Amino acid sequence: MAEVSMAQAGSRAPRRTPVVLLALGACLVAVLALGLCLGAVRVPPATVLNTLLGLDGPRQDFIILGSRLPRTLLAALTGASLGLSGAIIQSLLRNPLASPKIVGINSGAAFAVLLCAFLLPDAAARLTPFAAATGGVVAGSVVWLMAGRLALDATRLTLVGIAVGFVMEAGVEFLLVTQTGPEFSAPLVWLTGSLWGRGWTHLASVAPALGGLMALALLMSFRLDLQYLGPQRAAALGVRLGLERGLLLLIGVLLAALSVGVVGVVGFIGLMAPHIAARLVGGRHRALLPTAALVGAVLCAGADVAGRSLVPPIEISAGILTALFGAPFFIWLLLTESRRPGATR
Amino acid sequence: MRPLALRGVPGRSGGAGWRRLAVPALALATVAAGCALSLATGGRSDVGLSDLSGLFSGAGATLAEQTMRDIRLPRTLCAMFLGINLGLAGLILQAVTRNALAAPGLLGINQGAALGIVLGLVVPALSGVPQSLLAALCGLVSVAATFAISGAFSGRIESLRLILGGVAVGALGFAAVRLGYTLEDDLARQVVRWTVGDIGGVRMPEALRLGATALFATLAAVALAQRLNLMALGQAASHGLGADPMRTLILGAGVASVVTGVCVSVAGPIAFAGLIVPHLAKALAGADHRRLVPVTAALGAGLMAWADAGSKLWPGFAEIPVGVVVSAIGAPWFLVSVLARKGRSHG
Repeated sequence: MAEVSMAQAGSRAPRRTPVVLLALGACLVAVLALGLCLGAVRVPPATVLNTLLGLDGPRQDFIILGSRLPRTLLAALTGASLGLSGAIIQSLLRNPLASPKIVGINSGAAFAVLLCAFLLPDAAARLTPFAAATGGVVAGSVVWLMAGRLALDATRLTLVGIAVGFVMEAGVEFLLVTQTGPEFSAPLVWLTGSLWGRGWTHLASVAPALGGLMALALLMSFRLDLQYLGPQRAAALGVRLGLERGLLLLIGVLLAALSVGVVGVVGFIGLMAPHIAARLVGGRHRALLPTAALVGAVLCAGADVAGRSLVPPIEISAGILTALFGAPFFIWLLLTESRRPGATR
Repeated sequence: MRPLALRGVPGRSGGAGWRRLAVPALALATVAAGCALSLATGGRSDVGLSDLSGLFSGAGATLAEQTMRDIRLPRTLCAMFLGINLGLAGLILQAVTRNALAAPGLLGINQGAALGIVLGLVVPALSGVPQSLLAALCGLVSVAATFAISGAFSGRIESLRLILGGVAVGALGFAAVRLGYTLEDDLARQVVRWTVGDIGGVRMPEALRLGATALFATLAAVALAQRLNLMALGQAASHGLGADPMRTLILGAGVASVVTGVCVSVAGPIAFAGLIVPHLAKALAGADHRRLVPVTAALGAGLMAWADAGSKLWPGFAEIPVGVVVSAIGAPWFLVSVLARKGRSHG
């Protein structure tokens, strides 16, 4: 079974996987370390170490433990979720151009969060992740239903996803301009996808859910290999396609929507991470999914660190940086994918 | 049943004759009603249509008449000219790409032009260059990029690739715009208001600039009309009839992006007007671009005048920008037109 799926889905030597995972892990640790050191105030690594380990000597408890540590961890966690979500969605839809953004999840979550922020300003902070999850799932379901459910016509699904995204964005615009209160700037920062002002409470509010979903996704990863065989062959192997596909899709949507709920619309990570991962370890999902998650974590944490250390007094939102790099990447994919025979995988 | 009968050969001339009178009359009535409503609404309830007379009698002394002259009239004119410009830009783009989903907003032209303006605001070396010029240039670059990505220059334009290319170019442009106003603190709120398409603060010079552009757009569209008709026959046929499709594509895209660029420099990126208006015009006036150009212009003016009136009539304290009104109509429209493509080939 494994051989079949390998031949079908990917080609690179799976033996490389542990090495790649280790290297990516090291990258992530390096990015996290940079995230603790860099920012408006530069803290020397020795001080960071002292602070983290609770040793004597110069310490920066407030900056390191109170602000940078939760923020950087949150960036890594949401990045991993987005990368994983992108990998699942691309596999299920058999469309290399699919991503949470393209199928309307981001915009749906954004709309729901803004709606929540304006209707229930007092409870907004606590409700945001739930609102985002609801909005993302609703938008995802609408796209899925309108695109003809499991017919999986990639063209149609993508167009419908974009169209639903536009409708949601019109709603976001509408909400933004009809509000004139002081709460104007917070949603604005959030819409560009920023980790500014995120702390332990935000991390605590989504970490259990995201962690659980990621574990579930990784457990189900070899099921994705079976999905990849195509409906007939998978059914012959005893896979209950509809149920599993629905469950996996729900996991993918929830991962993306919850991330959007807490850090805002950090785009293109869900698109880029799976492609980079596939280049590194090939198409087998047991290797691909954890790799995509790690790549996503590195990308998101890296964008956050770069955003606050490039032009120090000013902070560039992580979402702006991921879009600046992600859009050309997307264009490159668009140019190369379609030249291959069987463009929609 | 009735449309069928109308399209049948014997009934054809009768139907066309009826339409030839009714369509322009309907379009003009829509425009007139929209204008009247747009002029009659606004922040001050004591200013009404009656104050228009002051403009012609040369009085202009009362506050109400000054309000009408300096605020209401330029704004209504702007809305109408925007509608003409965007509608014609959309019509031309849809014809040259032979793609019903093409529109300035969806091909990344809007966001590209917006980037041009932000560049002018942020880069000191560009501060002397007129905004419209920068916007038009960057719009041109964006549409060229979108066409290159979607394979337009090799003659094969798929809807999906065109839209995805536009989404990507638009996302890049928009990210750069946001980067621009992150770096320039005071701009943020002003730019956000402006990026959703707001004509609340326009005065006569802007209206005149848009008017001149509308004149250019109309003349260019009339001049291109025959070529656009030939495009509809397909690459080979239009080549055979003496029109170089590539030249038409480049001319059309150039006109559309210059016109859109000027619109963006005045009102910000207004999405979807360029998509809806040509569709409505085609439903009313058929496929001949020589007739479509005036009908599109009239419908565009009408739609935007109505949207402007709608934006002022929204209950509550905040007036919503006209671009948001258009988006609120246009985005569902786009969704419906995507869904309606079911079963048709994507070409």
